[in-house]
Amino acid sequence: MSSFHLDRDKRAELDDAAALVTDGALVALGGGLCARLPMALVRALIRLGRRDLHLIGSAHSVDVDLLIAAGAVKVCEESYVGFEQDLGLAPAYRRAAATGAIEARESCCVTILTQLRAAEMGVSFLPVRGVKGTGIEQMHPEYARVTCPFTGDELVVVPPLRPDVALLHAPIGDARGNLHLDQPYVLDVRFAMASRRVVATVDRLVTTEEVAAAGVTIPAHTVAAVVEAPFGAHPSSCYPGYAYDRPHLAAYLEAAGSGDVTAYLDAYVHAGEDAYRAAVDPERLTRWSGSVADWQELFR
Amino acid sequence: MNCSIDEWFVVALARTVRDREVVFHGFASPCAQVAMHVARRTHAPDCLLVEGATYAVNPDPVFIPPTSNDLALHQDAVYRMTFEEFFDAACRGDVDRMFLSGGQIDGWGNTNVTAIGPDPTRPKIKLGGGGGGCNISATIGTLTVWTTRHRSGRTLVRDLDVLTDIGHRTPEGDRAELGYPGGGPEWLITELGVFDYADGHARLRALWPDVTLADVEEATGFDLRVDLVDGLLEPPTEAELAVVRAVDPLGVRRLEFGPDELKRTFPCDS
Repeated sequence: MSSFHLDRDKRAELDDAAALVTDGALVALGGGLCARLPMALVRALIRLGRRDLHLIGSAHSVDVDLLIAAGAVKVCEESYVGFEQDLGLAPAYRRAAATGAIEARESCCVTILTQLRAAEMGVSFLPVRGVKGTGIEQMHPEYARVTCPFTGDELVVVPPLRPDVALLHAPIGDARGNLHLDQPYVLDVRFAMASRRVVATVDRLVTTEEVAAAGVTIPAHTVAAVVEAPFGAHPSSCYPGYAYDRPHLAAYLEAAGSGDVTAYLDAYVHAGEDAYRAAVDPERLTRWSGSVADWQELFR
Repeated sequence: MNCSIDEWFVVALARTVRDREVVFHGFASPCAQVAMHVARRTHAPDCLLVEGATYAVNPDPVFIPPTSNDLALHQDAVYRMTFEEFFDAACRGDVDRMFLSGGQIDGWGNTNVTAIGPDPTRPKIKLGGGGGGCNISATIGTLTVWTTRHRSGRTLVRDLDVLTDIGHRTPEGDRAELGYPGGGPEWLITELGVFDYADGHARLRALWPDVTLADVEEATGFDLRVDLVDGLLEPPTEAELAVVRAVDPLGVRRLEFGPDELKRTFPCDS
């Protein structure tokens, strides 16, 4: 039976949608670096007390670090977790890797892409062009080497990754689950195609006509639930709506760096999304479009 | 006129780009990011610049923000590659040059951006990670490697704790033996000097004017091969400096340097 999702109306409450993620699930996180991260769903997973998640993705930041800080993660399989030169290493990730609280099974953007494609294609492995001879290969006993029957070259091959759930955030979507994204899509389209289900938040639920006019990036039949969550990517950006919240990220990193995020979680996660929006005042992040000076001011 | 180390450093990186090359930088690479735009606006107008984590083709950024996936980098772009389109191009050999850095760099140009410490399963310091490097460093035409942390003594090392990205030779063999079609590192530029890779191993070719050979010897963990030549590290031109300052008005490139390094200034006669 097809795993496509055929219901006409998939609108859901945030915590009900997040509950489709079970303990121990293989979870793909959409967006990249500090852009379009599914943060409202991340906060909901923490409220639900989810444990032992296996996260996959390309380059990530506060989404992964916050889930680790809250004790929700067992395995991290991203190509990067951090805040670049600006705000530095990811403190909870770094600490949990050092103590063994998580398994930091670092991957590579291309390898993750290849494993998703194998899942999409329904094949049991695909080769990658590099990896051979690196420390990354040694961290992954599930990889293998094969000799190409056509060239005789020895290549690293990788198994499919079929996430149980892909958590995505989009600026707009309809009740059926059609989503429009602006580029860069990063891995979101591949996640949607490879996963058993997408659980999505949108800044704004709109008509099917409006999302079709903007262009459907993720089709409804891949989406199991859609939630209207204004500023649902905050503190990451979701253009054209809002830039990322650099002061909030810095405040989070200070809390995570201290090793105790209890006060942060109480203030920003356990109180729920309405209280969250009231506390973080995200409207100021929409001012990026006023002038270049306004935009630059958000990064100082 | 004077310039600062971050400005000259970026110009030195920019000059490694040849016109009509397809060039790419990863995230967390502000100096390389600024350098690519400087190259395109000066001596390499027909390069094809793929803007880091946005995969936009030849954008003119409104400004360089301190995060690599931001609309300010590509608002005016006519075309943006998809993630898979870019990495496919890099794997099949359609990307000519990538800028690559590392927390550790060995003499063969292999880099570690994964973890510091003897046991990678319990790393003393978990670094951010390598992005796409452990595949595309094997296949991209050539690499410009850089670091702004040479002086620490912990960056240019004899042995990596973890090998993330492929240089000219790994413990398992050289590129031919591994079956890797890319050319490997062409340049290593540090805040102390410039290296090339004769026979696959780093060789010091030039020093910044305020650096001595003894400074480099003290800071370098791998065997130091030296063959200094004149003319490799010429000061920035007025035009290059103007572009650096215009492209990066927030000074994001300076985030790569420690406070003492940023005090270094140099006269530019041009």
